[in-house]
This record gives sequence, structure tokens and C-alpha cells, in this order.
Amino acid sequence: MVMRPSPIPYPRRGAGAVMTHSLHRSGMVESLRGDYVWFMYQAKGINDKNIAPKAMEFIAAAEAAGSENWGDVKSGSVLEFPVGEIKARVTDKSRLRGVFTRREQVVEFLEAIKEKDLGLSVVISALLDEVLPACQEAKVTPHTINYSLGVWGKKDLLPSEDVLAVTTMCGHHQISPRLVEKKVREVRKGRKTPEQAAEELALYCPCGIFNQVRCASLLEDQGKSQV
Amino acid sequence: MPVIVEDQCKGCKLCIPVCPVDAFKPVNKKLVTIDQDICVECYVCVRKNACPFGAIQSLALSGTMRNFSHFLSDPTETKASTGVPGRGTEECKTNDVTGRTRIGQVGIAIDMGRPGVGLRLVDAEKVAMAVAAVGLEFEESSPLTEIMADKATGKLREQFLQVHLLSIIVEGSCPMENLPRVIQALREVEGKIDTVFSVGVISRVDANGYSPVLEQIDRAGLPRPIRGKVNVGLGRPLVND
Repeated sequence: MVMRPSPIPYPRRGAGAVMTHSLHRSGMVESLRGDYVWFMYQAKGINDKNIAPKAMEFIAAAEAAGSENWGDVKSGSVLEFPVGEIKARVTDKSRLRGVFTRREQVVEFLEAIKEKDLGLSVVISALLDEVLPACQEAKVTPHTINYSLGVWGKKDLLPSEDVLAVTTMCGHHQISPRLVEKKVREVRKGRKTPEQAAEELALYCPCGIFNQVRCASLLEDQGKSQV
Repeated sequence: MPVIVEDQCKGCKLCIPVCPVDAFKPVNKKLVTIDQDICVECYVCVRKNACPFGAIQSLALSGTMRNFSHFLSDPTETKASTGVPGRGTEECKTNDVTGRTRIGQVGIAIDMGRPGVGLRLVDAEKVAMAVAAVGLEFEESSPLTEIMADKATGKLREQFLQVHLLSIIVEGSCPMENLPRVIQALREVEGKIDTVFSVGVISRVDANGYSPVLEQIDRAGLPRPIRGKVNVGLGRPLVND
């Protein structure tokens, strides 16, 4: 394909200068820098056979790169169930996904998956000025991008930006805004550490893409700011 | 269908914050109920044992509408017709092997009710009809398209209009140069609905991750997107056109 090259297509924004919404994640830009979601996908009727052994290879690559959370929507996440149990439940229908907190992990993961040549689709959802350099470093070639154009419509129905930054980390919105507010109160009162509260919220995301590390940081900040 | 067994409910209200759509309502100091008109059948309350006294029980879902709601709102379910869990669509995730969005085309994924607000399908119909009117062709393998009475206009079957869901995607494609018209249609319809939607624009990119769709986004007066889902082209057999 011939397209006009663009050496710097996505200029970096200043730290914390922009609030962004996305299909998957919301929050301050600097916070989103520690947040990379990975997906393994088979396409129905095209490459959906013999998936289980390939899925195990994906798990090995994710574990080697230190994926902080991952799971299979049919089985749950590693924060909810023992890793061995999730591996034992892997089938040809499995759809794996997870989250990294550093760009270096993304590079290592992509290099490993490219080397294994498993033939399944891989998607990384993140800030474009983070993920595209990671692709370049891992020597993989971006094929298609789903660009977020943000949230439209009756936005006064949305919870606060602070709450959205947490709830949008479960892409299927299984985490209610009220639950996040409750966890912030618990942190503020010292009943739970930010890490404990974040891991409790992560249990509501069956896919394993909830970033409990970023969440703990957000809850800690929100707990302080609401005193 | 989750229900509260009244004689087991202690009125502690611990279940209330668990529900993503606020369907749990206190009746009095000793009883909470589930507003079935609001419930989207996501089953979060059931999966997460939201009641410490076991007062939430799950009844068999009855009827097409409740089942539709459930399959679209509970990510652990798989939409049988598309074979895809979650909202039952693959959008860009497998585009390297499906070629669903080709060079020169753009895919549009309008994620109705998202983030976290939910929707009545009547609002999805308004948006679908608005974008169909400016030339968006709906994706065949999509749960919303399946319940359309007229795929040319985006009109839904009447009996679905009041169904309440956590989210559903209006998904289709058009030539890239039509994108500003689609965006204008979304601008016009966004004030006529009682929910929110998130918009994704799907495009093939070059080896640097660049797509001329960004210029169409500029032309429509929107800021350059800074976040996206990047399909890194490792699927096989690879679609290159």
C-alpha cells in the first residue's frame, strides 16, 4: 500500500495537560502512559482451529514479559483464580487479554509473539505515541488502527472524571461508579490500602485487562484529594 | 434474571453499589428490590455474590428481549450468531486476516451507552438512522444489524426499541472521504439521544502507523486522536489489500 509517510504522526502531549477519553481508557495522559492492554484474537472461520496450544504460547510470552494482569473472559483473570486453573481451562474458544504497565514489556511481548509466529491477531490498546514506537522497536508492522474519537452525546450522565478513569479500565463496564466511590472512601478512611482496594475492583473485570497498578495510584490520589 | 428473595434480604444495601446500572433500589429499611426495567442482565450481582445473605437468586431468562439484553451486557457470554464474546463483534481486532476494513475505506464503531451509562435501543436506532442517511453501510456480522428491520435505513424492529443494554455497537463502513459527513451526522444526532456513545474510526495504516484518515479527522474539525487499538499485523493469512 502507498500512503504518505509521517515521521512524527502523533506528537507527545505535555504531562497531565490533556484529559482524554477513549474506547477503553479514560484519564490524564500521564497516567495512561503506564497502561497497555494486549489482546489475542482468532477470527471465526479463518484461523480459529487448534487455538489452545497457541494460547498457551501467548500466556508464556505474557508471563515472561511480566503482564500484571491477564485472563480469559470465559475463565476469569489471574487476580481472581489461580494461574494453573486458568491455564487448565484454556480451550480453542479462549480469548486471552491482559495488561502491561511499561513500554519495555510490550516490546518484549511483541518480539516473542513475532518469533513464535502463531498466526493469531494481536492488538495493543494504548496511547499511540507509546504503542507505535514499541511496534517499531519490536520490528512488527502496524496493520490497522481503531482511533478513539472520544465520548459524545449526553455527557452530563457520566460520573466524574476521577471515577471514569477507574471504571473505563474494565472495557465491558462491569465496575459500577458507586463501587469505585465506595473504595475511595475506604482508602480515605484507612480501612484499605490503595492496592487492596484496586485488587478488589479488579475482580469485577473477567477479562483481565483491568490495570490494578494504575488503579491503586489513582485511588491513592483520589483518597488524598477528597479529604 | 436476578431477583431478590424478599424473606432473605436484610436491607443491608451492600448490593446497591455493585450494580453497574443502579437497578437495585431500597424499598424500605429492611428490603431492597431490583428494578427489572433497568436491569440489563449483566449478572455482575450474581457472579460477584453481591448479597452476603444469598438473597440474590437467578431465574431463567424468559423471552428474546431479556436474552438479547443478557448476551450483550454479560461479557462472559458468547453471541451465538457471531461467535464472539463481549458485544459480539470483532471490529479492528482481526482485520489483518478478515480484511473487514480495506484500504480506502474506514470502519466506524459507535459504541452506544459507553462508557458505563447504558442505553435504550431506541437511541441506537436514532444514531444508526443518522449515519445510514449519509451512506454508512452496516456490518453484516454485528448484533445490532441482526435486529434491524431495514438495513438500508438502520431502522430497528419495533419490539426491540425499549430494550435496555449496557452497550451495543453501531458498526459499519464507508469510503474514507465520506468520514466528515458521518461525523457531521453524529454531531447532529448527539443532542437528540438520552445517552452517550464512544466513537472509533478504523483504518488501514502504513508501516509507520500513519493513515490519511487523520486528515479527514482534521477536516471534520476534531482533534487528532491520541489513543487507539493497534492491530500489529501478526495474524495469518495476512490481508494486504
